[in-house]
Amino acid sequence: MTSTSENLRTAQEPQVDLQAAGVGATAPTPARRRPSQGGNWRMRLEIALLAGPALIIFVAFVILPVAIAAYYGFFSWSGYGPATDFVGLRNYTTILGDPDFQDALRHNLIIAVLSLLFQGPIAIGLALLLNRKMRGQSALRVLIFVPYVISEVVVGLGWSLMLQSNGAANGFLDKIGLGALRQDWLSNPDVAIWSLMVIITWKYIGFAIILFLAGLQGIPEELSEAAAIDGASFWQIQRSIVLPLLGPTIRIWAFLSIIGSFQLFDLVYIIWGQYIASTAGTSTMATYMVANGRNAGSYGYGSAVAVVMFLISLVIALLYQRFLLRRDTEGAISGSKI
Amino acid sequence: MKAKKALSAAAIIAAGALALSGCSGDSGENADGSVTMTFWQNSTTGDGVAYWEDTVAAFEDANPGVTIEMQSIQNEEMDGKLQTALNSGDAPDIFMARGGGKLADVVAAGQAMDISDKLTDATKTALGGVISAFEVDGKNYGLPTAVLPGGIYYSQDLFDQAGITETPTTIDDLVAANDQLKAAGIEPIALGAKDAWPAAHWYYHFALRACSQDVINKAAEDRSFDDDCWLEAGENLADFNETEPFNEGFLTTAAQQGAGSSAGLIANKIASMELMGAWDPGVIANLTPSKEPLPDLRWFPFPAVDGGDGDPAAMMGGVDGFSCHVDAPEQCVDFLNFIAEKDNQEAYATAFQTLPASQEAQGVVEGEALKNVLAAYNDAPYVSVWLDTLFGQNVGNALNVAVVDLLAGQGSAEDIVTAVNDAANKS
Repeated sequence: MTSTSENLRTAQEPQVDLQAAGVGATAPTPARRRPSQGGNWRMRLEIALLAGPALIIFVAFVILPVAIAAYYGFFSWSGYGPATDFVGLRNYTTILGDPDFQDALRHNLIIAVLSLLFQGPIAIGLALLLNRKMRGQSALRVLIFVPYVISEVVVGLGWSLMLQSNGAANGFLDKIGLGALRQDWLSNPDVAIWSLMVIITWKYIGFAIILFLAGLQGIPEELSEAAAIDGASFWQIQRSIVLPLLGPTIRIWAFLSIIGSFQLFDLVYIIWGQYIASTAGTSTMATYMVANGRNAGSYGYGSAVAVVMFLISLVIALLYQRFLLRRDTEGAISGSKI
Repeated sequence: MKAKKALSAAAIIAAGALALSGCSGDSGENADGSVTMTFWQNSTTGDGVAYWEDTVAAFEDANPGVTIEMQSIQNEEMDGKLQTALNSGDAPDIFMARGGGKLADVVAAGQAMDISDKLTDATKTALGGVISAFEVDGKNYGLPTAVLPGGIYYSQDLFDQAGITETPTTIDDLVAANDQLKAAGIEPIALGAKDAWPAAHWYYHFALRACSQDVINKAAEDRSFDDDCWLEAGENLADFNETEPFNEGFLTTAAQQGAGSSAGLIANKIASMELMGAWDPGVIANLTPSKEPLPDLRWFPFPAVDGGDGDPAAMMGGVDGFSCHVDAPEQCVDFLNFIAEKDNQEAYATAFQTLPASQEAQGVVEGEALKNVLAAYNDAPYVSVWLDTLFGQNVGNALNVAVVDLLAGQGSAEDIVTAVNDAANKS
């Protein structure tokens, strides 16, 4: 089905995107056709018209709120009227010294790492399986993708009902004679984060699989065929040809997964509510922000938490792009001769 | 080109601003002299909603040209949502209030209407001293509709089943009763710790027994815990918690929503007791399989605790009521006076199965549980307000979560004191 030229184009895609996004690429940049500096005015008008609205919305709803949050972060402000009680860096020192925030950050890190460890191998395995021609392939793909499509609220409510002390999970264990394994899946602070990980894996693995499947479609079959002729086994082909070529997709997925883990809010908030996420050991920076900002009526403090969260995510994103995604821009996959 | 681009950008922003301000369409007086008011209350089901619908309709009939747009807001969402609405300048004209530090914060922000001179004499007479719950600096900012002292609600049937003949009067009695219930295969005490405040109520009551009235009042003013009794209360609670009195999975049990909530466990006879305010009979009634009041629901006051400076008969409780937003039309106060009338208060007490704020209406209180509450309330030497209400949202939430931590084995009595004293920095 897929022709070689198409495949190559797919494999190169991340590279083009990243360079457009201004990621420091040291590799020789492919020559791109650009309008000359004096370029004709129609072109500029077109750019202004097409990019303008998006730019305005981006500035108004992303840049401006971040700037305003940074401003309020320096005040003790309950949200009414103008902020007048300037407290300097007190909010920031309080945040960094607050054990609850440190816990939340630690939970974010655990979730980020475990998400990669749980979802990565399973998703790659399932994607490799689903990439082979088999009966009911489309039906299987749809089934695997379904949890990702269901809203977080529905998932959260459903799982919290099943995992209650008197819920389906414990009932099932009783019925199959494993009553000894009964747990307070959500309330026991030693267990709760693992329950959360199971739910997250179930919910988001479909997305990883679909991404990997798309990546696999882009790997030319000829390579595998050639290797097979040379006597490579199935596993050798997967290890030495398919996985390395899937690298860019895996790295993009890992990036999205990490950023998602650091901003995790809705599932935790639905399952553990406004107050007890920190007690159950599942709080995240986002739930900490809502609990100590909005719910406590301390909007200045909440803004400061938002800024800290933004900075942490930004640093992680930049480091990741600098050290991991750069490989893709250096042409580790298809060589630098593009 | 640049000028044109700037112009179009400005036009888009202006249009956006217009659209946004249009959303917060001001209620109040309309061009034809009619008045529209928005009204937020926390009853979402059953007789409670029906009561408010009927009362609003009756008020509208009596006051032609006045329309009240009512919104039912789930109780756990109320505080946060109200604060957001007040901040955004799109506040409801009539909103639920509970006095204490939370109301004081709203007043300090200039968001509540001073109604001291606008309440009728009839209203003031009917409500008597209860009205002071909504006073801030000697001025009145709201009207109480219910008095809600706390105590332990229990199912008489389950007590009988477990062979408990006397209601517990000391903590040791309570622990013994719990053991009897457990032996009979019944969950002793239901606790909705997911919403934090029900768990905190246990700490408040231990504090009520450990601390004198003066110490509690002083803490409310300073919003800090510097007396040793606060620590003692935490230690007493920790000791009590050691006996594992609460239902399985109490940490993720909600207070009022659904059959799995703590009120639902009582309504469905899974658990036997619940420490709650006087709204509980109504909440439980909505959760019984038949949606009828629980016939064997009874009540006893929070048991005495050894030692401590608090009066053993003192009660902890709250007051539910309503305030007017500072920019609300004058008809808002008319509505408050209207709901304080005897008939409406009687209907309120019946619909919510609770204690009305108006003393004239207390004759309609039904059911053995509520009658006992009312008697204890009238005999109490003093009634302290729920500590989270007293302390305001910031310190109150920190206190509640610290209590949950203690019950879950994630914190100590010292941590409660520290959390309260630290919360002031997080503002």
